[in-house]
Amino acid sequence: MPRPLHKEFLKGLWEEIPPFRLVLGLCPVLAVTMTVENGIGMGLATTFVLVCSNVLISILRNQIPPKVRIACYILVIATFVTIVDMLMQAFTYPLYQKLGIFIPLIVVNCVVLGRAEAFASKNSVLPSLADGLGIGIGFTLSLAALGALREAFGNGTLLGHSIFGPGYQPLTFLVEAPGAFIGLGILLGLMNLISQRR
Amino acid sequence: METYILLAITCIFINNIVLTQYLGICPFMGTSKAMETAVGMSMAVLFVLVMAGSVTWMVEHWLLAPMGITFLRTIAFILIIASLVQFVEMFLKKSAPGLYAGLGIFLPLITTNCAVMGACLLAISAEYTFMETLVASTAYALGFGLALTLFAGIRERLFKVRVPGPFRDTAIGLVAAGVVSLSFFAFKGMG
Amino acid sequence: MGEMIRMVVTLAILSAVSGGVLAGVQQWTKDPIERQKLANEKAPVIRQILEGTENDPIADRFTLNDGTRDYLIFPGRVNNEPIMVLEDRAQGYSGDVHVMVGFSLKNDTLVGAGVTTHSETPGIGSRAKDDPSFTRQFKGKKAGAPDSLRLDGGSLDSISGATITARAVVQAVERASSAYLRLKPELESSKREKEE
Repeated sequence: MPRPLHKEFLKGLWEEIPPFRLVLGLCPVLAVTMTVENGIGMGLATTFVLVCSNVLISILRNQIPPKVRIACYILVIATFVTIVDMLMQAFTYPLYQKLGIFIPLIVVNCVVLGRAEAFASKNSVLPSLADGLGIGIGFTLSLAALGALREAFGNGTLLGHSIFGPGYQPLTFLVEAPGAFIGLGILLGLMNLISQRR
Repeated sequence: METYILLAITCIFINNIVLTQYLGICPFMGTSKAMETAVGMSMAVLFVLVMAGSVTWMVEHWLLAPMGITFLRTIAFILIIASLVQFVEMFLKKSAPGLYAGLGIFLPLITTNCAVMGACLLAISAEYTFMETLVASTAYALGFGLALTLFAGIRERLFKVRVPGPFRDTAIGLVAAGVVSLSFFAFKGMG
Repeated sequence: MGEMIRMVVTLAILSAVSGGVLAGVQQWTKDPIERQKLANEKAPVIRQILEGTENDPIADRFTLNDGTRDYLIFPGRVNNEPIMVLEDRAQGYSGDVHVMVGFSLKNDTLVGAGVTTHSETPGIGSRAKDDPSFTRQFKGKKAGAPDSLRLDGGSLDSISGATITARAVVQAVERASSAYLRLKPELESSKREKEE
């Protein structure tokens, strides 16, 4: 009895939300969340790759010989990553510049390969689409949350707008590397706390 | 010679691949729970990264760039790294079973270790020469090993202290990693 | 054996399809990408150097080869003096520093310079781009001898804490200057063609 589609979608938003529940794909989470905008941009790029590769792999799942399946998945994922890479260069260049090498590095984001292997290779097209979309949006939300935390306290702004007024002394520490680790650690601790209470 | 030494120091400390470039965080968190696995992973990364760095340099400069197909770089590099890892695995299994027993389980994980792919891409975007790429790859791998073993030492102790429930394991690990990163951050001032 | 063939065929078909699709996307995005790069990285600096010019230096750009490599030239005219802007680079603290330099064709002096792209440390080396007081010092220098840092016996103030970046900018300006001098005959003929 397959689970209904909306459940496959919703599980990505809390139950299995990356990178908190699935501790995978940490590099972009830490690297690009200096601001909310960067976080959302990276999240959406990853979502695109995730959805496309999930759908295609699910369509091809009976054609791909099991022994070379990982190579095929990597090939499919890398193709979509390259497409995103070129589209972002052509149409959202300033954002592309900020995300830098982390766009090509979506190819080694374990979340994407993980979903291909654990879900799309065993399920039909629609559930795979819902799964990719859910996990992708969950990932985007996590990146935006960490981005908001770091941008608000580290720079005193949110989406570029000042929120604490001119008297606020920003904790610049938070927008640098050490702040990224500590910010994510605190968010993860809070998530655990909330789900324990439930 | 001086440039190579400077480059090596920059890549190990100032631009440390894990703690300042945010690459290879997954294996950094995943294999730092015990010193033994940390050392194993560091060795495996050193081995693969040096090879991947030189092979990707050759492919970029002798194949992709002359043919004008640099847009295939992502695909080419990931396939090179994946097949390199397979090849190293087979080679070690046959010729050095002792080493294979130590590194074996870490090798497949390296394909999705963004430190390897990231270092190769960084070397290309910095327009390094072949020698510089070789030095930089070695230094990046050493920096990875340094960060990982340092952190594993700290994490082994974290298991002995009482941490509030929700923060146990990964959460407190990330906070500790932040503190380690802070110490590397001091090198940034040496511009 | 049949399985082996199937594996190879699957991989080959996938690779071919992927290569074909990517080549298509690349063809389609090639021009927008080049325009975006110019508009976002180079244009602000070029406009600053050529402040007051009436033409669009980006649209009027042309390529010249000085025997070593191609240079993109952005022509303009300020106070009725023809000005040629071109870019060169030098190794900085982490990666290349690209510097755009403008030259007056009349008397071979530098009319302005600015950093376009770099990967220097934010807050330290990045001041070479963000704080124009360093690059402003090049204004009025001769293309034949564009000066060096005071530390190296010249008269330019360095960027505090970022000597390596400052040296890279100086070196890039030197390279741009010598490229300008090599290209000067061609630049003058290109200017004459336009006026006729």
